Amino acid sequence: MPSKTPHNNAAKDGDDSMTVVVPPSKSSKQPAPSTDAEGDVAMDVDKTEEEKVDPAVQAVADIKANFALLDRAVALFDARFSLRALRSISLIRKHLSPDVIAQAIADTFPATSASGSIAKSLLAAVGREDVALGRAAGAEMEVDSDAKAAKNGTSKKEVKEIIPEIDVFLGILVQVYLFDAKKYQQGADFSKYLSDRIQTLNRRTLDCLSAKVYFYFSLFCEYIVPLPPSPESPIVAIRPTLLAVLRTAVLRKDTDTQASVIVLLLRNYLLTSHIKQADLLVSHTQFPENAANNQVARFLYYLGRIRAIQLRYTEAHEHLTAATRKAPSSGCAVGFSQTATKLLLVVELLMGDIPDRATFRQPSLEDALHPYFLLVRAVRVGNLEDFETTIADNADIFKRDGTYTLILRLRQNVIKTGIRMMSLSYSRISLRDICIRLHLGSEESAEYIVAKAIRDGVIEATLDREKGFMKSKEVGDVYATREPGEAFHDRIRACLALHDESVKAMRFPMNQHRLELKNAQEAREREREMAKEIQEGDLDDDDLGGDLDGM
Amino acid sequence: MADRGLSQILAQLKQSPQMSYPEASALLSKAKLILLSLNALTPTPSTPSNLLALARETYEQGALFSIRAKNADAFTRYVQQLQPFYELPSATLPPNLPERNRVTGLSLLLLLTQGRYAEFHSELESLANRDGGGADVEGDRYLGYPVRLERWLMEGSYDRVWKAMKSSEVPCDEYSVFSEILKNQIRSEIASSSERAYPSLPISSTKSLLFLNSEGDVIQFAKHRGWLVKEGHIYFPNTAAEGSEDGVYVKDMSQMIMENTLGYARELETIV
Repeated sequence: MPSKTPHNNAAKDGDDSMTVVVPPSKSSKQPAPSTDAEGDVAMDVDKTEEEKVDPAVQAVADIKANFALLDRAVALFDARFSLRALRSISLIRKHLSPDVIAQAIADTFPATSASGSIAKSLLAAVGREDVALGRAAGAEMEVDSDAKAAKNGTSKKEVKEIIPEIDVFLGILVQVYLFDAKKYQQGADFSKYLSDRIQTLNRRTLDCLSAKVYFYFSLFCEYIVPLPPSPESPIVAIRPTLLAVLRTAVLRKDTDTQASVIVLLLRNYLLTSHIKQADLLVSHTQFPENAANNQVARFLYYLGRIRAIQLRYTEAHEHLTAATRKAPSSGCAVGFSQTATKLLLVVELLMGDIPDRATFRQPSLEDALHPYFLLVRAVRVGNLEDFETTIADNADIFKRDGTYTLILRLRQNVIKTGIRMMSLSYSRISLRDICIRLHLGSEESAEYIVAKAIRDGVIEATLDREKGFMKSKEVGDVYATREPGEAFHDRIRACLALHDESVKAMRFPMNQHRLELKNAQEAREREREMAKEIQEGDLDDDDLGGDLDGM
Repeated sequence: MADRGLSQILAQLKQSPQMSYPEASALLSKAKLILLSLNALTPTPSTPSNLLALARETYEQGALFSIRAKNADAFTRYVQQLQPFYELPSATLPPNLPERNRVTGLSLLLLLTQGRYAEFHSELESLANRDGGGADVEGDRYLGYPVRLERWLMEGSYDRVWKAMKSSEVPCDEYSVFSEILKNQIRSEIASSSERAYPSLPISSTKSLLFLNSEGDVIQFAKHRGWLVKEGHIYFPNTAAEGSEDGVYVKDMSQMIMENTLGYARELETIV
């Protein structure tokens, strides 16, 4: 369905390039002088300001440009168009103001329509109740857009009723605006109203929009005093709502909402440190397999966090590695990758591994990870004193990151590393020396600790109780063990999994195979004809070559 | 009327902690019946705060009595019932920190002795964030105790654990209930690490190593673990087991390599 679609972010999704004819102009602030479709809409709104386009007007135009996408999403039943509309919010966001939203609403909703009350409540939320609906400009715009629609062949003559997608989209814009303006209480109230409204609608094309609505709803609640982790925070109160939404989403097989609400609930529980509830939620729900990548990354992060607290480090490590890898590599989600990397580092340390130094050198992470770098250094050397001072110096940072209690568990790892270093460097060392170097309380403590380290397989050594020393065994050749084989196997498996995932992630345009079938059918027929002609003997080699090319 | 009866029962329970468990539980069930009639078994928004405080106290007393009677199940039940009360905002129900921490500390210790480390740490995490994250868990008399014990157990400073279980270090009587369990636990921990760490041990020093009272106890313990006692030394039977393991290991490894290689071949086939 090729058409001239006004939108700004075709560059972001290459997969639908077949629908795009107009080359996308990336910046919404500086539109190309009104030759492309974007400019068309802007002109319709305000013809006098053709040359220097006011950002507000441009924003209104951008908003309305998205309505076409939503219309198409509904008409074609393809969520990708709605997603594209949602992605453009980040561009519109900078120019959002009550006036812009009010104008967009006023232009969209005809005054007499049944959905007038919806428009009124949207206007009330931004404090512009007095704006009249369905102004002249709006009518004019509609006519124009109709003309355009006819021209483009999408052929939707009369927009009689505003589709719910559009009003929910406007609702999301209102939410974004209220959030940016820090009107959290108002935002929460409005979100409550909006989510109630969504629940009455049962439209699959609304799915990804409603996921967004709940996201902002929960975000507003997080920012209202008393802030979490206080048990009085409103986030505790919205749990029943979210759980109900989750149930509905599961029943409707609405994967977008399902994924996003599960993630929200997990975040909600973890904010108030209800680990047990979060764990139960994970064990009783199934995270949708084909959820959006970002939701998967978030889910894996929270899952990793729960597992780390429960001392299931291997699982935690797996989840967190996946989360950091799934995090968008561009600069837009630095915060997420920082947080996930921090947790991953601590878990790696807890597992007894030393994280790669390269991790700390990435420019986007370097500063944020500095305290962790110091920590890793202390653990690597096995210096208990350094370790304690690092914790004491950075306690506030670790507490804010929520890694403090995990880091406190590291003490035993520091001791173990210390013992390992000593066992590697000395073939025989007295317990007294171990005790002094590791700053342990007493010789007896040292003896028990070393004995435990031997049992846990940290070192290969024996103790002599009468003479009070530790004797290290000869270190075996690592290559004689199964270790290299296992490491190799792990890597191969990772590569194979990557291959499988990429195959699964490939998307094919709908109904394309029918086209191919048709082509194949035609080709077969042509072949048959050719065979006939060859039989009849009136076809020479040139013809044959030409025909094959034409195929 | 009814709540006066309740406070009387509570006063009675508090005055005589030595009361036998059957007696106490009879009183407790009476108290719970009163709570039921007042509709205050679980906190609801409409419950008046003095009733909430009474209900909380009932459960706390119940928890303490059941731990004194070493009834872990009953104790866990009381702790679960207390959770909603502890979650209440301080405006509705002013918190009674010493009692709350005492009960929470006990429940932590219970998790520790039962080896439920995952739950122990989940609980600890929520404690660290309680009251807006300002709570000093380690500094608290009741809460710090299980936290320290866990750390020492993890790093292997068993002698410190041993010292901490001496009566002077235990924060209150109820905590010593767990000492016996913990003693056995660390003894078996020490025994299993000694098996790997020492080629042999003289009996005399094993006594102090395992915190046993006499050499006779040592020999009994050694028999129980299946150790050999010869000429005043203890030998650990482990060399025989390792030899047979080696054969299995080699066989395992070659089979594993074959399986892996076949797997790669199959995967390659699907890709190419």
